[in-house]
Amino acid sequence: MIDLTPEARKRFDEYLYRMRASLRGSRSIEPQEVEQNVVEHVQAALEGVPSPVGQERLSEVLMQLGPPEGWLPDEERPAWRKVMDRVMTGPDDWRIAYASFALTLLMIVTLPIGGILLVLPAFFLSRAYVEMLAQRGESLGARRWLVLPPIALLMLLACVAALIGATAPVAAIGLNEGGLRAVGFRGDTEFERVRIEIGFVAMAAGVWWIVLSGVFAMLWRPFRFTFLPLTQGLRRGHAFVLTIAGIVVGGIGSVLLFVV
Amino acid sequence: MQMSDTFYDNWTTQLRKGLLELAILNTLGAGPLYGYDIVRRLGDVDSLVINEGTVYPILSRLRNEQYVESYIEESSSGPPRKYYRLTPRGREELRRMNTHWTRLHEAIGSLKKERGRT
Repeated sequence: MIDLTPEARKRFDEYLYRMRASLRGSRSIEPQEVEQNVVEHVQAALEGVPSPVGQERLSEVLMQLGPPEGWLPDEERPAWRKVMDRVMTGPDDWRIAYASFALTLLMIVTLPIGGILLVLPAFFLSRAYVEMLAQRGESLGARRWLVLPPIALLMLLACVAALIGATAPVAAIGLNEGGLRAVGFRGDTEFERVRIEIGFVAMAAGVWWIVLSGVFAMLWRPFRFTFLPLTQGLRRGHAFVLTIAGIVVGGIGSVLLFVV
Repeated sequence: MQMSDTFYDNWTTQLRKGLLELAILNTLGAGPLYGYDIVRRLGDVDSLVINEGTVYPILSRLRNEQYVESYIEESSSGPPRKYYRLTPRGREELRRMNTHWTRLHEAIGSLKKERGRT
């Protein structure tokens, strides 16, 4: 038995605990056998060292042995541990990807208490990561599953907010404060009222989308850059799609409001 | 860290992992040894063992697969020690592995020679 100081004993016990935890469940390795070998190793390595052996000297031997978390063969390590190992020991660029993914998961878990705000740091991490890889000439590969979700989510939120945009306050004024009635749109029946209201909202949305398509035609480059690589294929010409959609929806709204 | 460094580091790590079993079996080919001695001998081979502890799970696996067997022997300088030695099955496996390694080494050598000629 090695004579260790209390601190060194504590350190050694922790090391053995980590080792047992790391090898637990292995089909081909017997943790007791490995532990016995490790204890013998430490005893042999500290032979001749004046006892009680202190933490510093013990740590040197344990450092040489290395972290036991990596002792299990790859094929036997559970998937969650591989992920954790990647985060703890992988190259910095992988850590950024995992940090971004972790923030996205945390955002989902904490949604009821305002977790949605976490989409912003997750987004910035992901975008910085995408730019870093682009500068190195590397592709995202499988890492896209880690970094693209926050970019996609923020883009979706931005698109929804932009599409609703001015339509919401205009609709609120027209529908809730009797604005439509004041300018002569009075439905005598329930069907008439619904027709007028839908027509008004559709026309407001159509007009807003036409305006928005003009704004997009001017600012498409910053928008494209912000949400890269998802917007890689975006061109100024796509503003025309929004213009067409605005004309169609606005036209339907006008027909409902003025013709029917 | 540069990309080429990462590639080289990954490659040497994989190579080391693959060769460690062969190195352990070869170490035991000379005769029975106890764990610490195996680690010391492997440590003499430059950059083969970065973390000494990785040797012990491999020894346990080799014993489970009956390539090596263990026995306890009294030590004059301390508590009894656990020794490992090759089984006949392990000796046969080591012969096959060494043959394969030699072929591989020669094949890489001839590729290098060809490159030298061009």
